[in-house]
Amino acid sequence: MDFQAALALGLPLGIGIAAIGSGVGLGLIGQGAMQGIARQPEATGKIQINMIIIAALAEALTIYAFVALLMLNKKIG
Amino acid sequence: MGLDFLARVRNFTIAFAVVAGIVTATYAGPLSGLGLLAGAAWSLVNLALLEILVVALITPGGASARALKRAMWALGGMAALFAAGAWLLFHLSPLWLVAGFSAPFAVIALKAFSRALLESPAWRALVRSPWRATAAVGALILAAWWLVPAGSLGQRAGGDAAHPEAADSAGVTGAHGDSAGVSAAGAEAGAHGEAVGGAEHGEAAPGEGQAAAGAEDEGSEKFPNVITLIVAANHGAPWAHTLHFLEPILFAFFVGLLVCATGFIASRNPKMIPGGLQNGAEMLVEKLYEFVGGILGPEHGKRFFPLIGSLFVYIFAMNLFGILPLMDSPTSNLNITFALGLTVFIYVQYVGIRSLGIVGYVDHLLGNPRSVTGWVLAPLLLPIHVLGELAKPISLSCRLFGNIFGEDMLMVGFAALGVGMLSFTHLPVGVPIHAIFFPLALLTSGLQAFVFTVLTTIYILLMLPHEEHAHEEEAQHAH
Repeated sequence: MDFQAALALGLPLGIGIAAIGSGVGLGLIGQGAMQGIARQPEATGKIQINMIIIAALAEALTIYAFVALLMLNKKIG
Repeated sequence: MGLDFLARVRNFTIAFAVVAGIVTATYAGPLSGLGLLAGAAWSLVNLALLEILVVALITPGGASARALKRAMWALGGMAALFAAGAWLLFHLSPLWLVAGFSAPFAVIALKAFSRALLESPAWRALVRSPWRATAAVGALILAAWWLVPAGSLGQRAGGDAAHPEAADSAGVTGAHGDSAGVSAAGAEAGAHGEAVGGAEHGEAAPGEGQAAAGAEDEGSEKFPNVITLIVAANHGAPWAHTLHFLEPILFAFFVGLLVCATGFIASRNPKMIPGGLQNGAEMLVEKLYEFVGGILGPEHGKRFFPLIGSLFVYIFAMNLFGILPLMDSPTSNLNITFALGLTVFIYVQYVGIRSLGIVGYVDHLLGNPRSVTGWVLAPLLLPIHVLGELAKPISLSCRLFGNIFGEDMLMVGFAALGVGMLSFTHLPVGVPIHAIFFPLALLTSGLQAFVFTVLTTIYILLMLPHEEHAHEEEAQHAH
């Protein structure tokens, strides 16, 4: 397997694997936030803001994989 | 007026010289940038010494010993300065030195000009009504856009009649100004490939005939915008290459101008019962201020709100700009987002050093060691903290870039799919299936601008002294 084939196989796979992790993380964040809101509806605003921040942090990991794909995909062709 | 005016000139010249020096060092070599900075510094020191001399000489009360001493100091300083200037002239490029030297005078001239202009009756008549001001700004932009490509596009405009569909898609863009230039470019695009125009949106959607986008040298596909069209129409011209190179920066400047103009118009002659634009602007500023104040506390909130609020508005506008036909999001370019991240990073470090002091700042990086355990762990925590600080601009810029770029790519992919669906008709039309992603783009744009703003706020909060904040929280609990 030459390196181009390895890249063409590995880059999308890498995004998929990163997305699994991010998805699990986002699910946990959403679960926690929803439970918090259900217990204490008056704190919705604060919980939502913190949820969005942490969700952005978790989601960024997939974006890093995506940026790596953008950087390397020119070498495939 | 007076000394206050001079101080403002000095501050502005320092900022201007630093930016100009960095730009020059990037494009014309480090020595040129250094020469520009040295020239500006020389000129500023010269002005400061002159100021001291004049103040010492014209102070009422005659030539007291103190004033005489200061005047002698200034004279001696000027002699040393001229020697340093002669030395600089031999060692650095005189051209850049002279450019830097004249920077303060250019600033003075421009400031004096703007003062004269702002108080003239013509200017007052112009800004009295927001519509007149908008028309003037629009006319300026139109003139600028028309003048730049007019020289080489003029003779090609005749091709419109042969390609009605290109002229049609360009007709929508007439509202953006530069109708002659774009329609000529559109005609050129039609001559090249299959002229796949999503005529509904005035966007020539990318299909097989990618020549229109002028993206062949870049490799990445995107919607054609004004600049890529102009570049494609003037392929090979040296200024076209520069224009292509500067594309995201030009769009970023344009968005900044738009935001400034909107703020200017919205805050012109405020009314007690606000109309549409003023109402919207007030609502936005109020919500943002409430939010920032809620995180940073009322006192710090007021101090940092101008930066944070304008970051939000600017990034939001830049993200949304990609949805407009024939426009492009500057934030879908890593250079722009990294510049934003770097700005935030430098400002946060500045705030840290300013509010904690040098010792407090280092103490913060060491993890505030107060006990034996703390001191033992300090060498371990220092690299972690330093790396954490350095990761901030990278994560900020990569997140913004990745989201906006990904969203743009999604829409391009679906637009190409929509063109492919109707390709059997051989007509320059497509199904606009990418339109269903417009609400998603709206959501991502707002969310990413918000996340960038929130993280900036949090970074600033982490750099502020902690005791004060704890105090505030206690006060809130007691309340």
